[in-house]
Amino acid sequence: MPTAVERKALSEALGRLNENMRTMSQLSVLAIRKAAQALEKGRTRDADEVFTLDQEIYGLKQRVEQSCIELIALYAPVASDLRTITASLEITTDLDRIGRYSKDIAEAAEKLKGMSRESLGKIGNLTRMADMTIQMIETSVNAFTQRQADPVRDIVRTDDAIDALHDEVFTELVEKMTDQSVAPRVGAQYILINRYFERLADHAVNIGLDVIYMITAQRPSKVKRRNGEAHPPPPAPSAAPS
Amino acid sequence: MLGEPLTRNNVNHDGAPSKMVVEGLSAFYGSKKAVSGVSLGFREHTVTAIIGPSGCGKSTLIRCLNRMHEVVPGTRIEGRVLLDGEDIYRQDRVSVRRRIGMVFQKPNPFPTMSVYDNVAAGLRLNGMRKRAVLDAAVTKGLKQAALWDEVKENVYGPGIGLSGGQQQRLCIARALAIEPEVVLMDEPCSALDPIATAKIEDLIFDLQKTYTVVIVTHNMQQAARVAEYTAFMYLGELIEYDRTEKLFEQPTQKLTENYITGRFG
Amino acid sequence: MKFDRDARRRVFNWIVGVLCFLCVVAALVPLLSILYTAFINGGHVLSLSFLVSKENNVGVCFPGDPASCSVGGIGPALYGTGVVVGLASLMSVPVGVLSGIYLSEYGRNALGRSISFFTDVMTGTPSIVVGLFVYATFVYIARTVVFSALSGAVALAIIMVPTITRTTEEGLRLVPNTLREGAYALGIPRYRAVLQIVLSSGRSIVVTGVVLAVMRAAGEVAPLLVTAFGSSLGFTGVNEPAGLLGPLIFFDATGGSSLLVSAAWGASLVLILLMLGISLLARIALRNRFK
Repeated sequence: MPTAVERKALSEALGRLNENMRTMSQLSVLAIRKAAQALEKGRTRDADEVFTLDQEIYGLKQRVEQSCIELIALYAPVASDLRTITASLEITTDLDRIGRYSKDIAEAAEKLKGMSRESLGKIGNLTRMADMTIQMIETSVNAFTQRQADPVRDIVRTDDAIDALHDEVFTELVEKMTDQSVAPRVGAQYILINRYFERLADHAVNIGLDVIYMITAQRPSKVKRRNGEAHPPPPAPSAAPS
Repeated sequence: MLGEPLTRNNVNHDGAPSKMVVEGLSAFYGSKKAVSGVSLGFREHTVTAIIGPSGCGKSTLIRCLNRMHEVVPGTRIEGRVLLDGEDIYRQDRVSVRRRIGMVFQKPNPFPTMSVYDNVAAGLRLNGMRKRAVLDAAVTKGLKQAALWDEVKENVYGPGIGLSGGQQQRLCIARALAIEPEVVLMDEPCSALDPIATAKIEDLIFDLQKTYTVVIVTHNMQQAARVAEYTAFMYLGELIEYDRTEKLFEQPTQKLTENYITGRFG
Repeated sequence: MKFDRDARRRVFNWIVGVLCFLCVVAALVPLLSILYTAFINGGHVLSLSFLVSKENNVGVCFPGDPASCSVGGIGPALYGTGVVVGLASLMSVPVGVLSGIYLSEYGRNALGRSISFFTDVMTGTPSIVVGLFVYATFVYIARTVVFSALSGAVALAIIMVPTITRTTEEGLRLVPNTLREGAYALGIPRYRAVLQIVLSSGRSIVVTGVVLAVMRAAGEVAPLLVTAFGSSLGFTGVNEPAGLLGPLIFFDATGGSSLLVSAAWGASLVLILLMLGISLLARIALRNRFK
């Protein structure tokens, strides 16, 4: 537990950590946006940018992990400091995965260049899924940088919608590949892309839940109850002494 | 929950009984109020730590627990302090102190006595003369204080000839030799080096099997290491009291959070 | 230049050191010269027989009476000093030590402070005044002139008590409070804590105070002249006049005879050596048994 003297050093170090996390968050959002663009427009330039972003994100992740461990070793932080640091450790992993999946989507987009997608029909348009996922990620990341728990309270519910969408697209793709209206090469890539978006949404949910922990010290369950409803997250504690 | 008297079976202690309970305690030095309306219970066979900045009243509080506060002239208290349900301020002061022992910040072995005489002092000066009884008590006390191995060759040597850490363990042995039920410790390690401190913390950890321990410390990390429950005091009031891990991970009071994260000290 | 300042400082340090040393010498010179003079003038008289023989009351040498031509001895006076000072100690030491304990442990209040103050004043009371007071009291009680060993002892006791009280009080105040707290925290009743722990820790100062008081009493003259008065037989009974060393030295030195003057020097030397001896004994008794 820091003394008043150590507090200054700790506060500065925490400031640097937050800066890094903010940068990483911005890069991750940019990465997924660019990946969606690459998928839609098919420009190599976009895909290349995503590859670069993924590298940067990975580098930042390593730095953030290192600083978190140093902070714990040197300052034995407690309470909100401790929760900020452990949440940052977890979120940095999720952000790195977001970067990785963005890269995977960009790679798939490159592979799909030049291939015909008309046969896919409406499921070829994964725009809706992309939009929802990007929005989820942005919400979670903003909640983290602004230290707000409210925007992410319903995040599990939003994830449900994406899961449903994922199942729909998957079923249709399998049908279309079975009745040979879609070439397996194309269909396979789309199954992967479909999966990537679903995983991206999961990571957005993780980030949201970590934000709730960081602020309220509670860990709401991700496990859905039998009727499909997730456990509601608890209310924030009072700041005033009782 | 805060501010309500904690009775014998209070919720905080997961249903376990409290060895000592403080009810609405206020302590005064003349007209100055050092402790203000504190209520809490100390679970038996547990270490409870009291933390807080200088001047928060933690030392005064612990001294009220065995009526040492009265040693200073012009002091008084309001409220009750219960040991096994009985108010200690309605009992004979001397017998209360035999059941509730105390170890002080600065080791204070009696300078004119040997190690043996120091440990035996509590018994001897209360009339025990039998050599066999004294021998057994001294050995037991020194073993419980983890000092036996270091002094067994020279138990009749001077008490003040030991190192600081050993002297403090000698004082602990002396307090334990009269077989109290509660052991109070007022910043027992603050005058010691880290290695001596570590030995005493190990000792405190073992002591809780036999005794109920209350320790005042300005070192929060020490509270985290040895205590199962922690109370945070500020300006004479009890601000928060909870299981140690909960208080340090997720304090409910902003004041507590500010103190333990070092925002004021 | 720095060099100059340094050199100047060193010289100044040295000068101050030398001055202090000279002061020490100045303080020691009279003491040592007393010892020296006593040895020179009284040394030749010292012998075992001197210590035990009776006094020479006559002081004038008659050729036919060998006793009147000898220096005599201080045997009776030595004995008288022992008994009377012993009696005085028996009276004053318990009273003094216990009052000192009271003032230090129980009397930390306005009453205690005023008692302390007046005790301080009493340590400075001229001993002749004490003697006259005791004399007057005994006369008042007995309705006749009283010279007795008892009144001498009482006078000496009155002189000793303030010193013992104050030294005990100060000595016990020096015992750190942490010791008292340590004792109380063990559930030791207060009186036991005070007598067996506090007193034990402060015992060297207390004993020093007692020794100082005894030494002062052993060397008193004025109060004894009006109480015990004097006797060539030393101590013959509490209600009889008694001879002590101090008055003896006075009588012999002013007696006019050179024999008696020699006896006086001898007695002085004995008194000095006695003081030294008591101090030494006290030191030995108080040495830390752990050394």
